[in-house]
Amino acid sequence: MGDVNLAVKEIFAIVGGIILVYFLVDLLVFRKQLKRPLYRSRLINVLLVLGIGSVIYVTLKTFTWQLIVQIFLLNTVDLCILMLATTGVVLIFKTSVTTNFAQGMMATFGAFFAATVVIRLSGVAGMSLSTRLFLGLLAGVLISFLLGLFIDVAIIRRGRYVTSVGKQMITMGLVMVLMGLIPVLFGTNPITLPAFSYDVELITIGENFLVIPTQNLYAIAITFAVLALLFAALRFTKWGLGVRATASSEIVASMMGVNTRVITAMSWAIAGGLGAIAAFFFASSGTQVQVASMVPVQVNAFMAAVLGSFASFGGSLIGAFLITLFSSVAPFFNDTWQNVIVYAIILLLVLAKPLGLFGKKTAKKV
Amino acid sequence: MAKMIDALRIRLCLKRIETLQARKTFLENLLALQLNRIDMAKAKQERQCRQQTDISLAHTAIAAGEANGYVTAEHDRRLEQLKQRYLLRYRALRETYKRKLAKVLSERQAEIKEQRERAFQALERRKSTALAALEARFAPDADHLELRKTAYAELKAKAETDLALRLQGITARSDRAREKVSARMIKKIEGIERSLLAREQATAALKDKLPKSDYGIPEDVLLRIENLTMRFGGLVAVDDLSFDVKQGEIFGLIGPNGAGKTTVFNCITKFYRPAAGRMYFRKNPVEVIRLNDYPVHNIIRQGIVRTFQNVELVWELPVIDNLLVAAHTLFRTGFFGQLIHTRKLKQEEAVLRKKATDILAMLGLLPYAHMIPFGLPYGILKKIELARTLMVDPRMIILDEPAAGLNDAETRDLARIIRTIRDQNQTTIFLVEHDMGLVMDVCDTICAISFGKKLALGTPREIQADKAVRDAYLGEE
Amino acid sequence: MLKLRTLLREWGKNLNLIIKHPYFGFVVFGALLLVVLLLRMGGLVQIGVVNAVVLTMIYSIIALGFSLLLGFGGLASLGTAGLVGLGTFVMGYFSGILNWPLLPTLALAFGIAIVVGLIVGFISLRIEGMYLAIITLGLAEILRAFFISYDKFTGGFSGRSFRNFTIFNQPVSTEAVYVTITVVFVLAMIATINIIKSPTGRALLAMKNSDSAAQSLGISLMKYRLLAFIISTVFAVLGGILYIMYIKFSYAPQWNLAFSLEILAAVIVGGAQSIFGIILGVFLIYGLNLAVLNNIPFFVQNPALIVIFNGALIVLVVMFYPGGLIRLIQTSHFKLKLFLQKLKHRMKVRRYGEDD
Repeated sequence: MGDVNLAVKEIFAIVGGIILVYFLVDLLVFRKQLKRPLYRSRLINVLLVLGIGSVIYVTLKTFTWQLIVQIFLLNTVDLCILMLATTGVVLIFKTSVTTNFAQGMMATFGAFFAATVVIRLSGVAGMSLSTRLFLGLLAGVLISFLLGLFIDVAIIRRGRYVTSVGKQMITMGLVMVLMGLIPVLFGTNPITLPAFSYDVELITIGENFLVIPTQNLYAIAITFAVLALLFAALRFTKWGLGVRATASSEIVASMMGVNTRVITAMSWAIAGGLGAIAAFFFASSGTQVQVASMVPVQVNAFMAAVLGSFASFGGSLIGAFLITLFSSVAPFFNDTWQNVIVYAIILLLVLAKPLGLFGKKTAKKV
Repeated sequence: MAKMIDALRIRLCLKRIETLQARKTFLENLLALQLNRIDMAKAKQERQCRQQTDISLAHTAIAAGEANGYVTAEHDRRLEQLKQRYLLRYRALRETYKRKLAKVLSERQAEIKEQRERAFQALERRKSTALAALEARFAPDADHLELRKTAYAELKAKAETDLALRLQGITARSDRAREKVSARMIKKIEGIERSLLAREQATAALKDKLPKSDYGIPEDVLLRIENLTMRFGGLVAVDDLSFDVKQGEIFGLIGPNGAGKTTVFNCITKFYRPAAGRMYFRKNPVEVIRLNDYPVHNIIRQGIVRTFQNVELVWELPVIDNLLVAAHTLFRTGFFGQLIHTRKLKQEEAVLRKKATDILAMLGLLPYAHMIPFGLPYGILKKIELARTLMVDPRMIILDEPAAGLNDAETRDLARIIRTIRDQNQTTIFLVEHDMGLVMDVCDTICAISFGKKLALGTPREIQADKAVRDAYLGEE
Repeated sequence: MLKLRTLLREWGKNLNLIIKHPYFGFVVFGALLLVVLLLRMGGLVQIGVVNAVVLTMIYSIIALGFSLLLGFGGLASLGTAGLVGLGTFVMGYFSGILNWPLLPTLALAFGIAIVVGLIVGFISLRIEGMYLAIITLGLAEILRAFFISYDKFTGGFSGRSFRNFTIFNQPVSTEAVYVTITVVFVLAMIATINIIKSPTGRALLAMKNSDSAAQSLGISLMKYRLLAFIISTVFAVLGGILYIMYIKFSYAPQWNLAFSLEILAAVIVGGAQSIFGIILGVFLIYGLNLAVLNNIPFFVQNPALIVIFNGALIVLVVMFYPGGLIRLIQTSHFKLKLFLQKLKHRMKVRRYGEDD
């Protein structure tokens, strides 16, 4: 392992250099050019690729790739959680054009319900731990699904002249309602869930071997199965077509005979279910889940969605991947400032590409 | 080097002249406003003074049986009050008996009716008594009437001399105030005029030395577009377009849908950055600027202002405040001045509000001045947008489909307004329009384009006769 | 007799002028808030009410700045919490620990506020709408992580206490702090109404309605976005300074997303474009449970219900009164007036019959 401090300095030098190059070229060379914005966006793309490449190079030089892969493997649960949460956020954004602040709370609600079910089932004889956990997970997903459905059908839709910011406010009010409701329904104690398995799998590659907890494999399997199912549904079913139509324009979609009400309601319900799975894995990863525990996850999910441009599912999944990667590697560079580093990197990336890494600019009509 | 310095100096001078002229107009308007205010205050004071004199004489006037403005008015007022009161009483009585009559059986009806008659008579009696009392109150005292009359005449004469004195005082005070204000303002204005003159002489002296920097544009051309090209991705929206807009004319740009008319506008007002081509604008008689060098929010300062295809007003603000938004560039108070609402800001606001009111009155929009534009008819909204452009006294107004969504009467009205604006302020008007009637009616020159290319340029008659234009519109090959 | 009547009429006209003056309502409101302090000193009001009033005032200042951004500029920002926290810690560290005099501390705090406002303003030129909200949220998270990690400055997880507040070596009493907060509050309201009713306020509104129209009227997006962000950050930092002056404690994890969202909710619930609406919203979100609900036995026994109550209130108001509660009050006032007029007319018809 190389010198971490040196690596930090090198990374700072790289980032600073790239920013400097950008400003110098933009101000001195492109200033008088007619096509300045075009050149500028090309320059940014090149600089981004260069910058990310050199940062990866420095990181690899410092840590060796096995270590990084190992660190990442240990954090795959976080990746799964973030991917599920991000997909939920994007799904709601596409259909309701609002950021759902209650996403974390809906998820926590599901996780609490799942924990209650698991504890109740432990009295039933002849039931193995994984069966109980699966049942609990299903119950949690179901209750969050219903909660999502309820929120859209009974609250969001009933409002008069509700704008996008208004919907945001409503979800915010729901956060408070749920925050008060959860302790009343499930008691005030924080919950933890047992893992499916506490074993560790060994993967041997050449002379080296990597370690991955079996629990992570369960999480990956379930997450990928669910996401694959969801994407298949988005791609091939009528509902998926409806979601895409609603995302491009709700009014036009409804005039074309798409039942946007069903589409929106289903999106809220599915987002709730996804959140519940995320919160379930969050609780079974050994962390104590309290009422507000999912808020950082939710903030990260928003960040991931912005990073990969709100409008696309694939982009936001890549955003989730990048954020998990940053936050799993960042503690090795600096223990105290890890969050600051991660957010600062995201901020710089978003500043460089305001519409997300994969967003496309649409011409403004005047 | 020396030439560059001279150029810099002349530019600074021109800028300063512009500022000074703006300041001068502001001061002149302010002076007019303040003088008007003083006159109104004077009229009010005079009215009050007269009334006070009348009031002070009231008692003696009544006693002497003389007419006095205040006494007559008071008498009429009370008489009216009294009549009204008795009318209401009469109606109340009538209603009461109506209800009573409805309630009782038929055999007692006659009795009730009789009661009613009696009550009406009593009321009549009371009314005549009250009227008599009122008249008695305003009647002259019978004894020593002559004496009272002379006393009143004396008093009145005295009061009148007094009044004349006071009125004189008021006039003198108001005149003094007028003089003071005008002296102050005129002194300021004269100062500005002096420095204006000095600057103008300086520029004139410098101008002779300098080579002309008007890019070879003739005196009467206001806007010149040269080889304008604009692309969106692979689509060429405007292709190598060139034309001149002359000073003081109404210039129309026509073309089928998707011909790139609005794109030309957006290039001129810098919403789009043209891929190639140059745009020149005669900012003032001596200076020509290249529009390519200016950012979008500075275009209005050069004297070009535009309207939008779909009305873009500030929906939360009343109509008159919408006009003040357009006058944004005319405010010279800084942010901290605005934070504490300095006197200067209030003066500027008052002057510009007056100007906005005048413009609204000219366009017949005065009844809407204090309404929120949301929900007003579309024709009115279009007119408000037009009024908004007039706030800055532009050299050129760009109208993007002004007649879209208007009915025939409104369109005719619009044509009249467009001509009025041109005639009154020598403003050049450049418009894009689908309504051929309007275009052929108002425009002096028309440029027809199709797919970003120029088809023809000429008078309405020439355009109507042009074969290429007809083909483009009717789609013939 | 006649003379007296005209005199009275004149006086009434002058009084009317005073009442119609835009500052009149604010000054009277401030005076009423000072009466609360007098009542407290007389022992007639509980401390909870006073705390509720003070918090409402402090958070209203923050919300006023925020409403200039959201209600007038149309720029959504979720970074309020970080800026308020910054204000508290700058005051707590430089004035409380390093014993700097008041004025340099204030100058430093506002300097930082302006710099942060400039940075966010520049970001807002590149990023718009919902994206901007989330990016500012990221900035606030960076600030919060910074507060938690940099414990020399903020006290980290143990928080920063602020005790020895002195001016010219004289300790300042709580009552004086209360009066200071009230005065600043009234001044902030006056400044806000002045900005709203000036070219700047109109420019912000124009920008909110349409960027392109605003630009074509000569309003520079850069200038006014930066200005809006600077005003709002200065107000937020000012709120933070007043907060630590009164509460005397600031705790890094407290300045989180929930706080920003609550300020946003206060502005939306009350009515984003009316000053008294904003104050009403802030009172509903922060003051109501301190001043009223905590005195009702039912809510004291079930503290969770207070949170539910607040949440449900926000949901209901946004669902049914998008213009905010102040709009509800205004319309109901209008309706009441109309109803009274109708009632009067009906009475008249009953008594005198239809007009002839």
